[in-house]
Amino acid sequence: MIEVNGLTRTYGGFTAVDDVSFTCEPGRVTGFLGPNGAGKTTTMRVMVGLTPATRGTVTIGGHAYRDLPNPGRHVGVLLDASAQHAGRTGREILSLGARTMGLPDGRVDEMLAMVSLSDAEASRRMRNYSLGMKQRLGIAHALLGDPEVLILDEPANGLDPAGIRWMRDLLRGYAARGGTVLLSSHLLNEVELVADEMILIGRGRIVARGDKQSLLAGGADGGRASTVVSALDRDALAEALHQQGYDATPEGSGFRVAASTADVGRAALEHLVVLTELRNGSAGLEDLVLELTSDTQREAAPAATHDTTGAAA
Amino acid sequence: MSTATTTPTSTAPRPRTIDISQDEPVPFGRLVAVETRKAFDTRAGRWLTISIVGLVLLVVGVGVFAFPEDAQDYVDMLGVSGGVLGYFLPILMIMLVTSEWTQRTGLATFTLEPRRPRVIGAKIAAGLGLGVVVLAIGAAIAAVGVALSPVNGGEAVWNLGVNEVQNFLLTSLIGVLVGFALAMLLRNSAAAIVAYFVYTFILPAVAGTLEALVDGFDKVAPWVEFNTAQTPLFTGDYHATGEEWAQIAVTGTIWLVIPFALGLWRLVKAEVK
Repeated sequence: MIEVNGLTRTYGGFTAVDDVSFTCEPGRVTGFLGPNGAGKTTTMRVMVGLTPATRGTVTIGGHAYRDLPNPGRHVGVLLDASAQHAGRTGREILSLGARTMGLPDGRVDEMLAMVSLSDAEASRRMRNYSLGMKQRLGIAHALLGDPEVLILDEPANGLDPAGIRWMRDLLRGYAARGGTVLLSSHLLNEVELVADEMILIGRGRIVARGDKQSLLAGGADGGRASTVVSALDRDALAEALHQQGYDATPEGSGFRVAASTADVGRAALEHLVVLTELRNGSAGLEDLVLELTSDTQREAAPAATHDTTGAAA
Repeated sequence: MSTATTTPTSTAPRPRTIDISQDEPVPFGRLVAVETRKAFDTRAGRWLTISIVGLVLLVVGVGVFAFPEDAQDYVDMLGVSGGVLGYFLPILMIMLVTSEWTQRTGLATFTLEPRRPRVIGAKIAAGLGLGVVVLAIGAAIAAVGVALSPVNGGEAVWNLGVNEVQNFLLTSLIGVLVGFALAMLLRNSAAAIVAYFVYTFILPAVAGTLEALVDGFDKVAPWVEFNTAQTPLFTGDYHATGEEWAQIAVTGTIWLVIPFALGLWRLVKAEVK
């Protein structure tokens, strides 16, 4: 539904987006994940024609955005919830959008109800809105025209935990009804619970893509199992692991073993070793994300302890 | 909530393209209506408009009681209210354009209508529409002023001719469009308003000073300074000669056509931030 092809955007000598290509499928939520300044927002801005591309193309439903006669009816966009006139009321902001798209005023009330903004809140001016309220209003604005495609930049920013769950359910439901969703975030846990597919971007380039499982499989441990284990009798445990032919390296009070937790547990059982700890030691998605984007991070990422180089997509 | 992320949805093939064959472009009239609404739906916009009308009222009111009798005819009254409008209408227009950038509403405006020249056209139409309404109110207030002048011992003189109306509208239109051009070029409310006042106050003053100091500059000024060139339109017999029209055309190209074209080009190319 959204097709990005060899998209590049440069600012003087700086390349904000570097030859990025990806597709967002209908009925799926695509998460666009990367640290601040990785090029997520620029990519999204090019998609909707606010920023011209230096090279490459973006089509939405087979059309360039500017060729959509009434784009609000097909593509819902939320790039920056704060980008509204501080002196307008929430209701007025939606009314302007509804009128531009040619929608009845009743649609404004429907959307306000859907994002749980009360009448009193809707008649407040934007400058008195909290960030969470702005995000809800922005979501309402994006959904006004009942679009097939949603493009949302950091929509969960400023939402409280209940709001984040609400957003997640909303987007899942929207995709389940056949909608196409592209949402960006710099926070993994916002994305991993809702996205069917993730696109990791760092310093303007896509560094990995896929669903959670395939990302983990291609990640730090290359999908190999890893278990952290310790026992009352450390030497007995070492002996047991050695006899089973597992490769164990000391770590903390125990060992890191290149085997599944089940295999390690079975070895301990057979050798009657009392375990005090047994857990999956594979790198989580968070480690993976930090690792994949580590050379593109502003801060050196101390959490990325694995020195394996990332799987470049 | 569970952490399951891959709840399979319907496997029926979904359309991968958007059918736009039935779509109507956003009608221009609707864009104009929305842009007009934007001039009033904030306190700043509403009060600016109300203040402008109030100021006209005040100035004409002062005129009725304080102007010398020979300046209480309709053309003079209209000139006074036109002067006030001429300074403040362009500010209204400037705000229509620059607020899309300074308030960042352009993000929504230009995603809902990505054909930016249409939005600009709608803003011009909305601004001119507002301008005409405010001018009409100004003319009505001036008429009341003239009708009231006998209160002060004067005589109501209705001396309005076609030339006066035409020139009054033309100079107002020029002022509004210059404001528009500056707004598109600078895309910042404060900078555009300052630039407009430099154009409308300081440039004619500089031209006047140079005319006084430099021999022969009075011949050059009407060819390079737009306000000076427009002077025949609202002084004397309100009639510009062929040469004076040529001066208006030349200075109009320098101060209006070129900045306007450049501003529009920049605005279409600009990133909307």
